[in-house]
Amino acid sequence: MDRRAFLKVSAAAASAGSLPWGSVFANTAEWRTYDVTTKVTILKPRGASRAWVPLPLVDDTDWHRAIGNSWSGNAAKVHVHSDGKYGAAILFAEWREGEETPLLEVTSRFMTKDRAVDLSKPRAGIGRLSPADYTFYTAPTELIPTDGIVRETAQEIVRGARTDVDKARAIYEWVVDNTFRDPKTRGCGWGDIKSMLETKNLGGKCGDLNAMFVGLSRSAGVPARDVYGLRVAPSVHGYRSLGVGAPVISKAQHCRAEFYAQGFGWVPVDPADVRKVVLEEPPGNLAVKDPKVEAARKRLFGGWEMNWLAYNMAHDIVLPGATAKAPKLPYLMYINGETGGERLDQLEPDSFRYEIRTSGVKA
Amino acid sequence: MRSILLALAAAWMTAAGAQELKPWTGGGTPALVLEDLDGRSHRLESYRGKVVLINFWATWCEPCREEMPSIDRLLRSMDGRPFAVLAVNLAEPLSRIRTYLDKTPVGFTVLLDRDTSVAKAWKARILPVTYVVGPDGKIRYSYVGELDWSQEKVRRTIAALLPP
Repeated sequence: MDRRAFLKVSAAAASAGSLPWGSVFANTAEWRTYDVTTKVTILKPRGASRAWVPLPLVDDTDWHRAIGNSWSGNAAKVHVHSDGKYGAAILFAEWREGEETPLLEVTSRFMTKDRAVDLSKPRAGIGRLSPADYTFYTAPTELIPTDGIVRETAQEIVRGARTDVDKARAIYEWVVDNTFRDPKTRGCGWGDIKSMLETKNLGGKCGDLNAMFVGLSRSAGVPARDVYGLRVAPSVHGYRSLGVGAPVISKAQHCRAEFYAQGFGWVPVDPADVRKVVLEEPPGNLAVKDPKVEAARKRLFGGWEMNWLAYNMAHDIVLPGATAKAPKLPYLMYINGETGGERLDQLEPDSFRYEIRTSGVKA
Repeated sequence: MRSILLALAAAWMTAAGAQELKPWTGGGTPALVLEDLDGRSHRLESYRGKVVLINFWATWCEPCREEMPSIDRLLRSMDGRPFAVLAVNLAEPLSRIRTYLDKTPVGFTVLLDRDTSVAKAWKARILPVTYVVGPDGKIRYSYVGELDWSQEKVRRTIAALLPP
């Protein structure tokens, strides 16, 4: 059956139960369901073409549940692949040479619920990570080292802190106080934290600033990880800068971070979003002591508003099935493509044209 | 946690041309106990002796909707034979499923996987995905994506599993 027909139909046939944009998101204490639809077109294909689309977080949590994914288009092969080390789910599509208009549409349905950890009372029964997981989440990655200047900086920051929560908080506050969101950073930033510290240029975006939190935490012996994803709805907490204002979210990628502490489990943080509030919350360029910033600063240590799709926690990714010579990806948040043996620019949705749309789903 | 995804890599699919069921090499048959639209419980074990086609679907999945009539045609072509279809819906409200089925009536059993736990146990990450379970309860074939289930080649493959 010709799957091109699905693309013609899917544009007209909205997901059953889709809600008008912006009308859904008032109740943050309950589960909310979203669809995210990604449409990919390879422009000017040369030879075989390939595309990689990240899929929602595979493992269910008490704040994120994947329901399912569906695809349509004219790919010759479609395969859901795991990166292996981190469990990132990647949909891989391949078109043979001669396909003049490679098309792919992927719809993912998932549910989220706002997340907050009460850090005033540790809970019995939440123990330490296993030795294997502790090693995994304190290990360096290719762009997030845990030695040298990163370790020296971390040790200075956490001096006097006794518990892992205290250490993570000290690092969080340091990132908020010492880094800044740089609008000139391309995409989300690559997270080269060593270079940032060495050059003392502590500007970047979420991929840099939250990687800084993760790298410093790991260096200080606090297990930590980045969580890569996509904003999918406006913020209901009054922050225009912390949500999306339209259904097209092709450039709404956002990464967050977590640390692990005995008694609390994985604790969500987002110092990068505090810096986003500083820079972008109207009227813009707020002081760090501005009440809006202080409120965000307090809430984003231990809590996430879940107007956001979590993709994965993966680093140093080799795209499965890729033939183009290209470096490993520091993370997988964007659509990737290649044609004629050349990798396409994942940060330019027009260079090989991808569009990501979001809609809420009636319960 | 990471080991959960080991089976994902098995889900190859060809979109055009060679629409063949893929012999299953993915291990044992997960459990399946779900309620139908009328609240009756169905256990896969109670279908021993029959060939069972288990299809994971959702109304928001365009290819799922497209292939459903062909599954219905397959079922009707097997009328009187020990063959059953269980269509497992992922986490949708009953009202939405009923609305869809009112417009696209089918003759097979629709089951409700309200919390997607069965879909996860069966590694149903991409919809539609379909498993063909033999009379012995073992998965024999799988297919990821939309398929014309009434085409002769597919029907013959499934019919070959039926007990004499």
